[in-house]
Amino acid sequence: MAEEQKALKFWDWEINSKSTWLGVELSEIYAYRGLLLRLTRKDFLGTYQQTLLGPFWVLIQPLLTVITYVLVFNKVIGISTNGVPPFLFNLIGITLWNLFSEVFLNTAKSFSQNAGIFNKVYFPRIIVALSAVYLQLILFGIQLLLLIVVFGYFLITGKITANPANFFLIIPIIIITTGIAFGAGLILSVMTAKYRDLMALIQLLIRLLMFVCPVFYSLSMVPEKVKWMVNLNPLSSQFEYFRYAFIGTGQLSDLQFMYSASFMVLMVFFGVLLFNKLSDALMDVI
Amino acid sequence: MSKTVIQAENISKFYRLGTIGSGSLRRDLQSWWSSQVLRKEDPYADTHSTMPGQADHIWALRNVDFEIKEGESWGIIGANGAGKSTLLKILSRIVKPTSGIVRGRGKISSLLEVGTGFHPELTGRENIFISGHMLGMKKAEIIKKFDEIVEFSGVSAFLDTPVKRYSSGMYVRLAFAVAAHLEPDILIVDEVLAVGDAEFQKKCLGKMNDATRQNGRTLIFVSHNLQAVSNLCSKAIWLEKGHAKRNGDVKSVVNSYLSTMQTKLWKQEYLSLRQAPGNEYIRVLSVELVPHLEDPLGVIDIRTSITVKFKFYSSSPKANLSTDLLLYTISGECVFDIPSKPAIYNEGFIEGECTIPGNFLNDGAYYLSLYFVQDTSRELFDYQECLQFEVADYRPEINWYDKWWGYVRPNFPLLLKPVVADNSIIS
Repeated sequence: MAEEQKALKFWDWEINSKSTWLGVELSEIYAYRGLLLRLTRKDFLGTYQQTLLGPFWVLIQPLLTVITYVLVFNKVIGISTNGVPPFLFNLIGITLWNLFSEVFLNTAKSFSQNAGIFNKVYFPRIIVALSAVYLQLILFGIQLLLLIVVFGYFLITGKITANPANFFLIIPIIIITTGIAFGAGLILSVMTAKYRDLMALIQLLIRLLMFVCPVFYSLSMVPEKVKWMVNLNPLSSQFEYFRYAFIGTGQLSDLQFMYSASFMVLMVFFGVLLFNKLSDALMDVI
Repeated sequence: MSKTVIQAENISKFYRLGTIGSGSLRRDLQSWWSSQVLRKEDPYADTHSTMPGQADHIWALRNVDFEIKEGESWGIIGANGAGKSTLLKILSRIVKPTSGIVRGRGKISSLLEVGTGFHPELTGRENIFISGHMLGMKKAEIIKKFDEIVEFSGVSAFLDTPVKRYSSGMYVRLAFAVAAHLEPDILIVDEVLAVGDAEFQKKCLGKMNDATRQNGRTLIFVSHNLQAVSNLCSKAIWLEKGHAKRNGDVKSVVNSYLSTMQTKLWKQEYLSLRQAPGNEYIRVLSVELVPHLEDPLGVIDIRTSITVKFKFYSSSPKANLSTDLLLYTISGECVFDIPSKPAIYNEGFIEGECTIPGNFLNDGAYYLSLYFVQDTSRELFDYQECLQFEVADYRPEINWYDKWWGYVRPNFPLLLKPVVADNSIIS
């Protein structure tokens, strides 16, 4: 025992065959925080290099989507928004949906995109996933500002009323939605690195998933018979609460909110464990 | 007595080949379904891999032990596929060993590739920071050394240009400059010096040399360039098929490696200019040794004439070029230096050929180098040890079996003839 402790003191580090579930210590991730920020910056600058509109794409994308949704779902199909301006109604849903889908897709891609780098230099591999999340949170922040501007316009013109106290709800909503997307993305990131055909499937699934989330409709419009299906989706309550935070309408359920929060904790937990456990083995095959 | 900084015990690395992970979920699920659920034969099992003589796995490293002390510089040598890169990857924490343990002290930085993490769209300035962080530097450290890095790389004029517009030489300079300013306790360097021009290579070697000699840093270095290993390192490990065949003093390890190297390097060929050895002036696409043998599987012996063919690309327009073919014995003595006639060549591919006649070289191991010169005086590129070959002995009807003396063994006629005896001398 004493000898073991002495040995431990003598050496700073040890490389062995074991892959741990927890992988790296938080202190190591903290030590690499500079890299995390730099990777985020690299992805941001790299994406908008040699483009016509540059970072304006962050704003153009939701605006064009909203216009399309308003035309298709509200004007052509005639989905009611219960007196809320359809433009605002859809923008709220799309802003949160973008957060989820972008965090999820970019986390899922992070391992296979950086496999070449992992093969040449060591750093905690989860850093690339964290930097993807960080970048998406920044872009979400920009889109949230757009939403607030649009919201402000409708507030001033008197089309809607709002309760500022509800505004604080968006903080837990952002954490829960990002967490679910991050956890699920981590699980898929190690799987897509091994099975490249999985990415196409994921792209399809995420498009379908949007229809089971109350993005362009509200929960109150869902018939009682199929409501359990939408309620099973841990994201549903987040959209209802997010909309409530702005325009004060939505079907709220504390139980559903707790369900989403617990789901997020589980996803992040399993995501991190699986990522650490499998990524060592993956390095041998990629 | 200096401290041990790395201690490796029994490290082994096992890789499966072929069958594992077809890369497609559908096929893996199908395999799993048939073999585990239906208990039938796996439809995708690679039956060839179980045939005798063809293993479906490989031990990239097998029970390798070594101990590295502070301030030592170690070279890792061995043929391609001997496990050198695997060993570096394990030491750099990129892959886990299958078994065994490595313990160490101090901060490790590894340089397995030049320009890891470089983003081609971003400027040189941005990439210095990205690369620096990736190699484990802190932001303050990079800022402190920024000017030094830029000066070392010599690309200060292009600092705000995207690196995709850099020439390959500039790219390598910038990438290496960042790495050269790392200050870890242990630096691991893979064959990154194979790129870049000769002058810059020398600069990098010098920088690495300084790090070990003056600052007491530990260096682990992999290279095919045995000259560089001998100059830079004090100790060496020779890996062969995953086993550490020898380790210890660099001179003795390198010598025994050279003398027992059975593989004849008769041909070097590169498919793209980028990969080909060389620099901004010269890229050598191929060098080939063609022995004039009746039996294509026969061995070169002292009677065999040998043709050396090479092809290179010269990127200088209207340059007065000449090439020297140098032949060295394995112990490093130059046997000859044959220059080509200097002539003006335009930018483009140039082929060369030289035949060493039979009955000229003595038996032994030799290597060839190509030396490219402009205006008969300025070195463009020195392609050292590009080919290696052995000349076997042939001595029929001779009862003397000791080593034949001399570097060359030309067949100049030495004639003896009886002359009329002068009786007065005999008596």
